[in-house]
Amino acid sequence: MEWFAQKWQVVESLAPFLLHGLWMTFQVSMIAIILGSLLGAILGVMKTLDSRALRLCIDAYMHFFRGTPYLVQLYLIYFVLPSLGIAWLQFDSYTAAIVSLTLYTASYVTAIVASAIDAVPRGQEEAARACGMTKAQRLYHIIVPQALRLTVPPMASVYVIVIKSTAVLSVIGLSELTRQGETSILRMPQDTMFIYALIAGLYFLYCYPVLRFARWAERRVGSSAAAQENA
Amino acid sequence: MAVNNNEPGPRPEQGGADQRMVVIDCISRRFSIDGGKTVVTALDDVSNYIDRGEVVVIIGPSGSGKSTLLRTLNGLESIDEGNIVIDGVDLADKKTNMNTLRADVGMVFQHFNLFENKTCLENIVLPQVVVLKKNREKAERVARDLLERVGIPDRENNYPRQLSGGQQQRVAIARALAMKPKMMLFDEATSALDPETVNGVLSLMKELAYDGMTMAVVTHEMGFAREVADRVIFMDGGRVIEEGSPGRFFDAPESDRAKKFLEQIL
Ligand SMILES: Nc1ncnc2c1ncn2[C@@H]1O[C@H](COP(=O)(O)OP(=O)(O)OP(=O)(O)O)[C@@H](O)[C@H]1O
Ligand SMILES: [Mg+2]
Repeated sequence: MEWFAQKWQVVESLAPFLLHGLWMTFQVSMIAIILGSLLGAILGVMKTLDSRALRLCIDAYMHFFRGTPYLVQLYLIYFVLPSLGIAWLQFDSYTAAIVSLTLYTASYVTAIVASAIDAVPRGQEEAARACGMTKAQRLYHIIVPQALRLTVPPMASVYVIVIKSTAVLSVIGLSELTRQGETSILRMPQDTMFIYALIAGLYFLYCYPVLRFARWAERRVGSSAAAQENA
Repeated sequence: MAVNNNEPGPRPEQGGADQRMVVIDCISRRFSIDGGKTVVTALDDVSNYIDRGEVVVIIGPSGSGKSTLLRTLNGLESIDEGNIVIDGVDLADKKTNMNTLRADVGMVFQHFNLFENKTCLENIVLPQVVVLKKNREKAERVARDLLERVGIPDRENNYPRQLSGGQQQRVAIARALAMKPKMMLFDEATSALDPETVNGVLSLMKELAYDGMTMAVVTHEMGFAREVADRVIFMDGGRVIEEGSPGRFFDAPESDRAKKFLEQIL
């Protein structure tokens, strides 16, 4: 009983602090997910166009951001870029977080979208071409809609990875959930384990609905044709 | 020359300067495979023509270049040498809009290639709206008429995968016809069908031929070729080896290769 009372006190005193961290984590990751998905969708479509130069550039970008740890990318963007002396590359920690996380997210989304487009059977593109549709019309009406449904399952796991990557943002002093937790531990070192458990619980609280939503979306996309037909 | 001869129907008098729908002039097409080490000559200096209202059936062994030839006629395949003129439109001309040309040349594929994300009706409506800029209502009316004509009026809200192969191919034919094409290309349109649905699709193609549609047909259905073709073209190794009326070709082939091919297939 006493144990519970003591822990409850910890929770009560830390709640506003940790919830602020969760809110920051939510905000940064959501913005990065939305911007990163848009950027990734555009780059993914561009990667499948006929231009070799374009494809090489996008490949280089993808390999860099997927082949290096996010922490390194964050350091580069927050600590190294400003030293170049270009005014608009002097990011504060919030902007650096969003820029780096958006680029990181987009690198994965680009790969997912490009391979989903490649997975649409060739005959679909050919038939659309044979009808006289332009490249843009083919993409818009036929290819991208069919590719999108293939992206739902892998996209969800990328989103969860992105959410968890925000923990790294504590190193540039952004007051997100992990950072708030570490600060709390400094204040209450005797409750280290409990506070870590609280943080883990809060991350789970955020990630789990995302995964659930993904599963729901997956089922919906898969059966949308059947649903329409019954309507 | 903008000869707007979109409506199937009576054909111009034979012998006029405008009698040719397609003129194929010394075309070649090569593919380099395994990283450029090997070059396959799919079409080797082919010249030919298709007249208005003519039904040309192209036959030949596997890999002889039949599909490649057909696909050059709507620009799905580019050519390395030579030239093709379709209804006065020069395909090699940089100013030719290939998409406009493709809207005028209908194509039916072996594997139907209906748009999987669209209903049957939408498959037929979409190209009319997007390419021909028709208004939706008109396009739907055309689509429903065509579905009726190809014999499946009650499946308009089904998705392609809910239809049998034969039904899908009928929708694919309707989709091509909705564009009011000057000419239709069929690449083994019945090869992927169950035996019992082959005849339905063949008789649909026959009807089109008798309605005066200009057609280039790649097929292994020799009965169809004999009955419907105005001219048979036999290809091998990327070249036209022999051509003639079906009666002449099937009963008295001249080349050894054609004789051997017919022996194997009949
Ligand atoms: N996209 C391509 N890339 C490489 N080689 C190709 C390509 N398309 C066709 N070929 C080659 O060109 C040759 C002619 O092929 P094509 O498909 O025109 O033959 P076909 O007469 O239609 O044969 P089938 O009866 O098997 O359909 C073949 O040797 C084929 O391997
Ligand atoms: Mg073929």
